[in-house]
Amino acid sequence: MKRTNTRWRKLQQELAVWQIGAIPGLMVIGLIVFLRLLGFLQPLEWWALDYFLRLRPSEAPDEQILIVGIDEKDIQAVGTYPIPDANLAALVEKLQSYQPRAIGIDNVRDRAVPPGHDQFTQVLQKYDNLFGIEKALPDADGNLVNPPAALPPERVGFVDLIPDQDGIIRRALVGAPTESDYKFSLPMLLTERYLNSEDPAIVMENGIADAEAFRFGSTELTRFHRNDGGYVNADDRGNQFLINYRSGQHPFHTVTLSDVMQGKVPPDWIRDRLVLIGIRAVSAGDTEQVRGVDYAKPIYGVEVHAHVASQMINAVLHHRPWLTVWSDPWEYLWIIGWGILGISLGRFLVVPWKVLLGLGLASVMLIGVSFTAITAGVWLAVVPAFLVLVFNGTGLTAALFYRHQQDLQARLSDRQLLIDTTYTEIHNHPVQTLARILQRVREGNLSPQSFYADLERLEQQLRSIEESVRQKVTLMDDQLTLHDGKKLDLHRPIHELLHEVYRNTLSRTQDYPGFATLVKIPNFEAIENRRLTVQQREAICRFMEEAICNAGKHAERMTRLEVSCKTADGKNWIRIADNGCGIDAAGSNQSRYGTKQAEQLAHQLGGEFRRVANSPKGTICELSYPVSRFWLDQLRQFFKSGYASQP
Amino acid sequence: MKLAESTPKQRIIAIDDHTMILNGVANLLQQKYAEAEVQVAQTRQAGLELIARFHPDLVVLDLAIPDRSGEKASAEIGVALVETLIRQYPTLNIAVLSANTNPLIRLKPQIDNHEGGFTVSDKGWASEEIVKKVNMALEGGRYLPKDMKLGLEFKSEWLELLRLAFQEGLTDKMIAKRMSVSEKTVQNYFHKVQDVLEVYPEEGQNLRIQTGNKAREIGLID
Repeated sequence: MKRTNTRWRKLQQELAVWQIGAIPGLMVIGLIVFLRLLGFLQPLEWWALDYFLRLRPSEAPDEQILIVGIDEKDIQAVGTYPIPDANLAALVEKLQSYQPRAIGIDNVRDRAVPPGHDQFTQVLQKYDNLFGIEKALPDADGNLVNPPAALPPERVGFVDLIPDQDGIIRRALVGAPTESDYKFSLPMLLTERYLNSEDPAIVMENGIADAEAFRFGSTELTRFHRNDGGYVNADDRGNQFLINYRSGQHPFHTVTLSDVMQGKVPPDWIRDRLVLIGIRAVSAGDTEQVRGVDYAKPIYGVEVHAHVASQMINAVLHHRPWLTVWSDPWEYLWIIGWGILGISLGRFLVVPWKVLLGLGLASVMLIGVSFTAITAGVWLAVVPAFLVLVFNGTGLTAALFYRHQQDLQARLSDRQLLIDTTYTEIHNHPVQTLARILQRVREGNLSPQSFYADLERLEQQLRSIEESVRQKVTLMDDQLTLHDGKKLDLHRPIHELLHEVYRNTLSRTQDYPGFATLVKIPNFEAIENRRLTVQQREAICRFMEEAICNAGKHAERMTRLEVSCKTADGKNWIRIADNGCGIDAAGSNQSRYGTKQAEQLAHQLGGEFRRVANSPKGTICELSYPVSRFWLDQLRQFFKSGYASQP
Repeated sequence: MKLAESTPKQRIIAIDDHTMILNGVANLLQQKYAEAEVQVAQTRQAGLELIARFHPDLVVLDLAIPDRSGEKASAEIGVALVETLIRQYPTLNIAVLSANTNPLIRLKPQIDNHEGGFTVSDKGWASEEIVKKVNMALEGGRYLPKDMKLGLEFKSEWLELLRLAFQEGLTDKMIAKRMSVSEKTVQNYFHKVQDVLEVYPEEGQNLRIQTGNKAREIGLID
């Protein structure tokens, strides 16, 4: 019983401490999560993704893919743009002589560009590993671009790219249902052909875990969904995935049209490879916004397609990591976890510089873990986690400075409290004994025996004060020490405590011989006591002790003493009424101290203290304070008392 | 157990975890109240269940009992049981047996308000003495050992009772009317006052007159 009480009190104290840092901390977490759900963090999270992708160590050039980029020099050498059909036909024939697995022409050829159109048409029909392009999705003006007329539909892939709201390409669209049929992108068709040539068993199939995903062999190409990672409500129509750009300055071997025509390209860069022909001239306008790789130089559309094809081929053949994300519950758990770590730093490291150091270490760890995850193909929510960690860590550091101040204040008021209670105890016990000895000396009826007994009692009282001071200094143990050394747990109901005090005080027949023959009229009813702090409980008990002692001391010829505690008219009443000789005789200097204490207590409780004449004679000592009704008030007091009793 | 045919039999429940003592007490009770039906329980829980089921006239209990079987006995559990009984059955007659009555002091205000018989006996007493106190409880009387009492301690109602009975010389019926309580309550008040004044039934003595004399002696009435 006692143990659970202590545990409960510890929990209360811990709760009170967490209330300072944790409630705002949890609100910070809630706010960040809320902002993320609204999409405010999306740009930051994109930025972090791009940054981490660029930061990755370089990968070796992908030997499986060759880019034939028609650059400014080629255009100048040919003398006209678009490149005439004849030149393109010659390029294809030259490349085919090295037997590549597939060739993709990423160049708009929806109409004849003379001279040499017939020749180009023949080339298109002659090689079934040759793929052309179209634009399948209407642009803002509703325009589409047709494929070369000579190509059968199964050798036409679309080259539509889907930039995010900030204009950056981070996703690849590889399959899309159109009004007429289901279409594939150029990289997808080239990848299928390449993989099929590698191993005829590898064909494009539906996914097993996700039937709508593409699958080659055992590798399923995880699709992008609208709220993946940092994305909020993105357009995820068709079949898309996050592009895991191949890092490094030279992801692919890139040659020019003239390099190929002049035979400068090593044959094994072409044989059995996937060849992408595209424009790499700024004047032709096919540049794209990419931030996942070094973007000091312009990135061309053909290069983006190469990255996409490369990602698929390497995932299937070499298990290169796919770029994936955690499901939403795990992501939010991860964010909340870092937020709680931020709060804990403040709670457990306490000293501000340690908190900052801990925060630094935690941030490094968070970024390290997130970066490692990116290299392994997992995009973690690093930005929201970082925000909650830092806000909670530094917020708590700031709160700690405040708390430091408060602790100082609490310690000072504890000290004051100790002085006050010690004073009360000295006043209630040894001072009374001394007064009695003095009175007897004055009256001249002091026998050595009774003098000795009094002195012994005085010693015992002083010792008990010494012990209780020591206890209060070492630990605020929430106990009330009674006259005979008995200890009361101050968490017991107040009417029980008061009854114990009443019994104990009236048993002091040695100090107050009149108590033995006194008629006592008690009435202890259960009163509401939840809102009282430990200090207030102690003060109320001391009040009763003091009032009974006063009655015993001053109320001469007292024969009856009524002591009651009850609830009436919305107030709690604690009343001590005697029928002694009354106020005037009793109003000596000695009781002034007690009156001041009682008034202070009444003020604290929002109540009233009265010392009035009793009828027909005697004195009434009465403390009344309003019954606490509001749960809010009780809650406030709960936290207050929890905090006040914190060591 | 032996049953009488016509008279309404008294029901007594004894709660104690020591079978020897329990049987001893049960036997004593059985001897004394041949007509009575005596049930026994060894734990707080079993006792509470029995009481709820049989509505006894008297509960005799040891303070040191376990909460449920297999657990350790402690006086705190007995005190908690007394507290529950007083709260749930305000007119139940209760006889407590205990070696140490200190833990019971906590319940003094409730015991003072309890309207049934209430006696406390020391286990070390001779069995005749214990049976006497148990009998007292069964008859609605009250006996508390000296160390549980705080000398002359009265509820204000009891003092009013003394005034009405001995100063105004009213009958119980009249007193009940004036105090707006039942006659049974008036008798209960008398039992309590008599315990404070230490006036107990004795052969050939008029209890009321003794009470009045004692009260006058102390100065409770003029």
